[in-house]
Amino acid sequence: MGKRLVKFAALLCAGVMMLTGFTGCSVISGSSEGQEKVRLMVWSPSEDQSKDSGQWLQTCCEKFAELHPEWDITFVYGVADEAGAGVAVAQDPDASADVFMFPNDGVPTMRDANALAKFGGKYAEELKATNSEELLDSLTVDGEIYGVPFTTNTWYMFYDKSVFSEEDVKNLDTMLEKGVVSFPLTNSWYLPAFYFGNGCTLFGDGTQEELGADFAGEKGTEVTEYLLDLVENPNFKIDADGSGLAGMRDGSINAMFTGSWEANAIKEILGDNMGVTALPTYTLNGEEKQMYAYAGSKAIGVNTHTKYMVQAIELAMYLGSAEAQQLHYELRNVIPCNTELLEDPEIAADPLVQAQNNTFNFTSILQPFVSKMNNCWTPVENMGKAIRNGDVTKENAAEQTQAMEDAMNSDGI
Amino acid sequence: MAKKKSAKAAKLRNNIIVHTVLAILAAIWVFPVLWVVMTSFRAEKGSYVSTFFPQSFTFDNYIRLFTDTTVLNFPQMFMNTLIIAICSCILSSFYVLSASYCLSRIRFRMRKPFMNMAMVLGLFPGFMSMIAVYFILKAVGLSEGSMIRLALILCYSGSAALSFQIAKGFFDTTPYAIDEAALIDGCTRGQIFTKITLPLSKPIVIYTVLTAFIGPWVDFIFAKVICRANSDQYTVAIGLWKMLEKEYIDSWYTCFAAGAVLISIPIALLFLKLQKYYVDGMAGAVKG
Repeated sequence: MGKRLVKFAALLCAGVMMLTGFTGCSVISGSSEGQEKVRLMVWSPSEDQSKDSGQWLQTCCEKFAELHPEWDITFVYGVADEAGAGVAVAQDPDASADVFMFPNDGVPTMRDANALAKFGGKYAEELKATNSEELLDSLTVDGEIYGVPFTTNTWYMFYDKSVFSEEDVKNLDTMLEKGVVSFPLTNSWYLPAFYFGNGCTLFGDGTQEELGADFAGEKGTEVTEYLLDLVENPNFKIDADGSGLAGMRDGSINAMFTGSWEANAIKEILGDNMGVTALPTYTLNGEEKQMYAYAGSKAIGVNTHTKYMVQAIELAMYLGSAEAQQLHYELRNVIPCNTELLEDPEIAADPLVQAQNNTFNFTSILQPFVSKMNNCWTPVENMGKAIRNGDVTKENAAEQTQAMEDAMNSDGI
Repeated sequence: MAKKKSAKAAKLRNNIIVHTVLAILAAIWVFPVLWVVMTSFRAEKGSYVSTFFPQSFTFDNYIRLFTDTTVLNFPQMFMNTLIIAICSCILSSFYVLSASYCLSRIRFRMRKPFMNMAMVLGLFPGFMSMIAVYFILKAVGLSEGSMIRLALILCYSGSAALSFQIAKGFFDTTPYAIDEAALIDGCTRGQIFTKITLPLSKPIVIYTVLTAFIGPWVDFIFAKVICRANSDQYTVAIGLWKMLEKEYIDSWYTCFAAGAVLISIPIALLFLKLQKYYVDGMAGAVKG
């Protein structure tokens, strides 16, 4: 049943919407007279539905209903943040929302569960016209697009403008001379940034699963040695359990690495002094190396088990449209990713938007979502902790870096 | 005389040592509780603090928990949990006590096999059946909307009759002579249970009620699996967990501590109210 639905979804998306009389399919064909009754269940994070932040989801859904008078739509709202929806939909697609939001790293599991509808035909063209190629790559598997992106998901640098100049923030080592910098060294979403800077790679270009992780050798060891010096630096603080933000608050830390989810808290602390920018470089053996963050996207997906495929796909397209993204930005500061919208001078001038998009475009690599990626998190985290605890020294750096790579390439726990 | 004095001194010395050790242990034990309570009154925001004692105190965390309900509706979660916990507490106490009484007092053919089976089933952790339970509930239509409450009550009380061992052990200690006396006076089995065994077994009844209440009150795993995206059905355990997600942790951390303090109140109240019955219920039961 699931396979047939996927196929059916693809066909539909290819624009074969006029064909009626499919047998075995569950879409109710529109009656010639009056409206078709449609029931769509939509999941989103609770802020999108809260009165305090303007009920983005309800507003958009009502507008969508107005745009489509041919359908009599009843919306059922559920609360599931992106990460939660990714898991819940894959677990039981049958009892999940028709339209939901998910992070792009959920694509493989949801695809395996036959839960994610493809966007083809005119929808794919529209998506390609309004989104950057890198962004769509984050949602593409085997040439098929699996969601409508609505924001990018990555991390970058927040700093105190009264401590660092715009020139300073281009290089981490320059910054460390002038102020205190905090970095989540023990978090494996952040730590690889240094390794990628020195030519380490994960799964080739991110999709070549057979190539595995290439983190060791001379290039990896050099980075490990650099990190050992970094931890020794009195101006460097490891950010863990919220200590970075707490340091910003009491003034003991002047720069930290995080993402848009903490932007409001930092804005509250630093006010006009808040600076935000893409990742800096670091100086390794006299050479400047760029740090690269993991980047992904958040997207609106459609459940293959939906009874109303056309309506669900249309709604997903609308929720990811420029209009909805703009409202999302105004109400909740969700950074838009629609290329037309990013040209809007008001949005383009927002430093947060600039930083996030510059990071996405220039100082990040697409977080690989091949299934072997799951093996890569713990070894890197352990490396960060070992560096912090002093278990890694200059003498055993090469050996330890090799051990990390071996663990990343092994399926065992 | 001198000997007596030295014995006294030795006793004093021992007492000092013992009490110091006990005081240290007590401090270690109370420390996390105290920390949570202090955090719940902390005025500084954020999840990480560099000082042990908060710089300033406020009551706002508690107020926010009950007023800022648009994102995380704590009052509703609290009520959901309370309803679920009270209903499952009543149901499962009834099951446990009835099953224990039957197994302790009535001899029937399946008694031994049932007790063995219950023992074996009890060895498996409950969440092993979680996925199966979820799909069964879905099949009978209990996995959506307000039926979730019913589903959770069923989950928490359904297997209660299997955990009869402790109560049965207690009932076994009540002399059978009392039952016989009651039978001679014309009591039925049901009357013996309600009028004689239960009043004599207050400590174990209280114990059963307490555990039956605390189980659903603090459960996370079943609630998480069954509630899914129905945020209006969330229990406090899910709500508190949500507060520690990366989007919320900075602004909700102190409220999380406040919530943790609040959920301990019903348990503490129940315990304080019921503990007077812990005194020996057997006193003066059998005369002569």
